[in-house]
Amino acid sequence: MKLYEFEGKAILSKYGISVPKSTLYKAGEKISFKEAVVKAQTLSGGRGKAGLVKVCSKEEIDSIAKEMKSKQHNFELVSNILIEEKISAENEYYVVLTYDTDTRSAILALTLHGGVEVNKFASTVHKFQIFPNQVPDFAEIIRLSGIRHDHDEWKNFLSSAINCFFEEDCRLLEINPLALSNRKLIALDAMIDLEDEAFFRHQDRKYPPRQSGFGRAPTERELKVKEVNAKDYRGTIKYLELDGDIGFLAAGGGGSITCMDALTSVGGKPANFTEFSGNPSDEKVYELTKIILSKPLNGLWIVGAIANFTLMDTTMSGVIKALEEIKPKFPIVVRRSGPHEKEGLEILHKAKQDLQLDMTIHGAEMPMTKTAIIIKEKAEEFRHGNTHR
Amino acid sequence: MAILIDEKTRILVQGITGKEGQRAAKVMLEYGSKVVAGVTPGKGGGSIEGVPVFNSIKEALHLHPEINSTLIVVPPAFAKGAAFEAIENKIPLINMLTEGVPVKDAAEIVHACKKSHLRFVGPSSIGILSPGKCRLGVVGGEKEVIDKIYKQGNVGVISKSGGMTNETAWVVRQAGLGHSTVVGIGGDIITGSSFTDLLELFEHDPQTKGVVMFGELGGTYEDQVAEMLKRKKFTKPLAVFIAGMFAEKMPQGISFGHAGALIEGSRGLPSHKIKMLREAGALIASRHDELGEIIKGAL
Repeated sequence: MKLYEFEGKAILSKYGISVPKSTLYKAGEKISFKEAVVKAQTLSGGRGKAGLVKVCSKEEIDSIAKEMKSKQHNFELVSNILIEEKISAENEYYVVLTYDTDTRSAILALTLHGGVEVNKFASTVHKFQIFPNQVPDFAEIIRLSGIRHDHDEWKNFLSSAINCFFEEDCRLLEINPLALSNRKLIALDAMIDLEDEAFFRHQDRKYPPRQSGFGRAPTERELKVKEVNAKDYRGTIKYLELDGDIGFLAAGGGGSITCMDALTSVGGKPANFTEFSGNPSDEKVYELTKIILSKPLNGLWIVGAIANFTLMDTTMSGVIKALEEIKPKFPIVVRRSGPHEKEGLEILHKAKQDLQLDMTIHGAEMPMTKTAIIIKEKAEEFRHGNTHR
Repeated sequence: MAILIDEKTRILVQGITGKEGQRAAKVMLEYGSKVVAGVTPGKGGGSIEGVPVFNSIKEALHLHPEINSTLIVVPPAFAKGAAFEAIENKIPLINMLTEGVPVKDAAEIVHACKKSHLRFVGPSSIGILSPGKCRLGVVGGEKEVIDKIYKQGNVGVISKSGGMTNETAWVVRQAGLGHSTVVGIGGDIITGSSFTDLLELFEHDPQTKGVVMFGELGGTYEDQVAEMLKRKKFTKPLAVFIAGMFAEKMPQGISFGHAGALIEGSRGLPSHKIKMLREAGALIASRHDELGEIIKGAL
């Protein structure tokens, strides 16, 4: 779970890392700082360039904050504004703690060239492996990073940051910039991504749900799928609305992504991304299919890799139930394989006849990604037929 | 030959009394794998699918010193404890099926296995299969599926995605080829056995004449393969598919997965991985089902 800056800074101060004095903006509230920084709270970066971070006098706070509140950033609504005391920095550094696939461990990385242009200084970043319950060689880190002064301050800061990173089960803890001001290190920004899988160790956490991680407000269909998913613990369904005309109903994480690659590479335009896995109930598959079919479509692609345990006959019945209600005219291409494949495909053939569907049915003999071009061409033909009628 | 597992593999199942553990034991036995013991703390004494259950690995090893591999199928909160029990008892091959293991725990397990020179495959692995010899884990699923897809042969298969392991092995089979060993390594950021770890084993396995691999967006395990090819540490034909290209073309800054550090730049993008691998001499499948014909043409 990505945290907003103000939530991240609250965690940092819990571990003894200095942050500027601050308050969440409330209209008309008295601010004691002479000079303030007004910062819109968003999960995506690049706020400075979008005009969502502004330095001002305390008299200007109200008008600036009000203006920011009406804005969107990368399709994300600004809900909170952080008002901070302006810190004058002598130097700005960059520090990140994360997991790294090169060393297969947690790492601490830092550069003395922090700030908005840090990307230009990627070559100056020093990386150090760190381990839980193991004190790193701070003197060595400080020496190799080229830190000349304030060694005790740095040692305290690094020790707190490492502690925070492991104790809170962070996936990412990024501070940019880390300011040096009057010989003290102060975190002027904080980007923390908490690991969802470790929430069982942090039962006391109470963060409100995040906006959709897809860089825009969730659509009605996306919200509906979330609701359906939460109602029934069996299996997981995901749905992301896109603007194409081919309905996409795919099984399995890796399989869904592979199929999306295949469809988009032949120029097919998916109406949605979806994935169902973990043997969901018929009811769940039925609800998901109905939501996919609720958009105007020119085709439907029902696809998945060869399943290990998911029974083809039972999962297909959820899809058929939704098709019975809607009886679509557009072409449907199916490629499903796994246990009880023969029985599953028979159910589909029967439904094709009973409901008079334009359905092409494939089992294992047809490789999964080869059906991408079939649905793309059939959908195209159907679209043309419609425009010429 | 084959890598990691063969006729001599003797299996312990940690978490055998759980629903997933029980199913894993059942399908392994069905395939002819030698599952000799199970462990669930506090539930020792009984048996599952005819396999005796013990309270600890130490107890199991006392009666079954022939155990040389363990399958971990426990809930995520217990995964680290189970792995460390296996490490303390020096089980040479640890295969973890558990999904959703916190990355901090995975990093600690990987580090401890390295120090003790034990082989760790997972987390989130679907299992390992050397067709006709041994199945560890649930790769291939039901008998109906595994019998249809897998056949002893000379192509090694490595897959980050459990769900795509069957399909990847199947396109190889459809090209008229069989499999030496099939390994589901899992798609977690910290993994016990990476592509390069296994390619090193395949390089020295006389049964394996070529390898196909299924990679995904994120991380640098695929980049490491490119490095390995450049240094000529893997010299057999290698066909690769990397999933997730479409995510790069998505509008609106749609992101899949976790937040990356600001300084990471293009690392982790499928286009970057493909470019590196192609330059290093790997054979790239732009559509997944091409993998079979590509490796066939290169053998």
